[in-house]
Amino acid sequence: MFKTFKFTRKVENILMLIFTAIFLVYISLSPDMNIDSLKGVLIIGVTVGIIYGLVAVGISLIYTGLDVVNFSHGEFFMIGAFTGLTVYNFLVDGELIYAIFPEAYGVVGYVIGLFFAFVLMGLFGVFIERVFLRPLTKKGGGYTVAGMGIIICGFGLSVILQNVAYLIWNPTAHPFHADLGLPINIAGITLPMTYLWMLVTGFVVAGALYFFLNKTKMGLGVRAVAFSKDISNLVGINVPLYISIIFGIACALAGIAGTLVGPTYQVVVYMGYIILLKAFASAVVGGFGSLPGAIVGGFTVGLFETACSFFISGSHKDAYAFLLMVVVLLIKPTGFFGVQVKMKA
Amino acid sequence: MLKINSLISGYGSVQILNGANMKVEAQSIVALLGGNGTGKSTILKACSGLIRSWSGSISFNGEEIHNKPPHKIVEKGLVQVTQGKDVFPAMSVIENLRLGGFVLNSKQKLEDNLQKVFDYFPRLDERKNQLAATLSGGELQMLCIGRGLMSNPKMIMLDEPSAALAPQIVLDIFKNINRIRKDGLTVLVVEQNVRMALLLADYGYVIKDGVIKVEGDSKKLMYDDTVKDSYLGGGGTTANV
Repeated sequence: MFKTFKFTRKVENILMLIFTAIFLVYISLSPDMNIDSLKGVLIIGVTVGIIYGLVAVGISLIYTGLDVVNFSHGEFFMIGAFTGLTVYNFLVDGELIYAIFPEAYGVVGYVIGLFFAFVLMGLFGVFIERVFLRPLTKKGGGYTVAGMGIIICGFGLSVILQNVAYLIWNPTAHPFHADLGLPINIAGITLPMTYLWMLVTGFVVAGALYFFLNKTKMGLGVRAVAFSKDISNLVGINVPLYISIIFGIACALAGIAGTLVGPTYQVVVYMGYIILLKAFASAVVGGFGSLPGAIVGGFTVGLFETACSFFISGSHKDAYAFLLMVVVLLIKPTGFFGVQVKMKA
Repeated sequence: MLKINSLISGYGSVQILNGANMKVEAQSIVALLGGNGTGKSTILKACSGLIRSWSGSISFNGEEIHNKPPHKIVEKGLVQVTQGKDVFPAMSVIENLRLGGFVLNSKQKLEDNLQKVFDYFPRLDERKNQLAATLSGGELQMLCIGRGLMSNPKMIMLDEPSAALAPQIVLDIFKNINRIRKDGLTVLVVEQNVRMALLLADYGYVIKDGVIKVEGDSKKLMYDDTVKDSYLGGGGTTANV
């Protein structure tokens, strides 16, 4: 009886609006409420949101391409952060980069670090897909027994990758001192440069991904494979290759997000797990499997989390993302951009 | 052009084809007929590489193509158009067609083929910027066939082009299939609409239980009582030709 109970689209939207209104009224009654703190929350929320969005896009891409949730995605984020850190330290500790760029050695080193995190994680993702997941995708993947195997494989991979990182970089927290210059002042808010880098790079990468998916031939192929492997086969797309590409892009996005986050906190072996769960929450809020939805979900979760931890209480920071996910699942089970059923050929 | 020799295949561990033999001559229309669950679509899927052939051989233009990856088979010029409605609904008509020409390397060729398809199906030209999800059943079928033609195939395999369509639209689509053949393509058409298929085709095969039971000239098959009685459930379908 309970199962048949369902809201219509319109009722869902009205309930979401009511929830948003209650939330806004509640935080506006907070004693900390003023225009400066609001601006700060907005900027930090969007910055954190684009990072969640990038990781969530990766999870959504893999979900559409392989029909499974990749539970090891957080580890690609973590290893990406370590890759960026290692490349940065290697370059900045050496003399070469001082000699060429005495003024902006930190920025140059950081950009190269970002680039390496992106490329190496992409290649690493392709390698992982080819070696560990390919035997399972060959047996069917997706909604079959082999697909269940990929999910378990994801958990196992997560543990293995954490331990590999543990062996290479040891379990202590590594500070990431990216020398990017002094904090700047935007609209009365003092923003550390690392946040500005997160914001700008995040948007650039998201824009590049949009361009890639919508304007290039390869992007068209990725979208086709994401929708249906059978039809893609029949129009002559090399589907196994494109599944590798999808996995590689998703991991590259996680890698660059890791290097972007690194300087604001620390780089540590266990950093992947919480970002995986939050990106998962973002993907669910935006509509699982939808790429614009993942980005919008990232912003929503980022803003909600920042606002709650600032105006309500900072000590439960990690819980708010899941609170939002639960609310969205209750009211609007498909998320903002999700479709009711993903049609499968 | 296409030769199938004692092909055995199926899904999982279920064997569907029990040694089918077929031959499709260049620039002809061949009809493959049979009831539900007799293995018509399975033959096509084995030809286009979607499922593995367990034994036997398929050769296209003298080359062995069985168990080749599907995109290689498309590159060789053998294209399958699946049973109706198999389009990318969230993409526009023109994006769907572009995907059909995915194996083409030159942009110019793609545009040429696009023009050719719009020439066959002017309706698609009118609706090229619409999402494929908004098309009607007949337009979807046109889109599927058009998408198949985009990659410059030598031979096209149609899986039930008349399924779930109004008679007028079926006639329209069959006229276009005839035109496609006149332009130099080979067509293999799988049908349940026996009468229409035999009117269109030059040669026909009737499949039952995974083997070809009857074959022959389509004009002859149309009046063949064995076809009518044994393999198509008897009476009705071909009686009033």
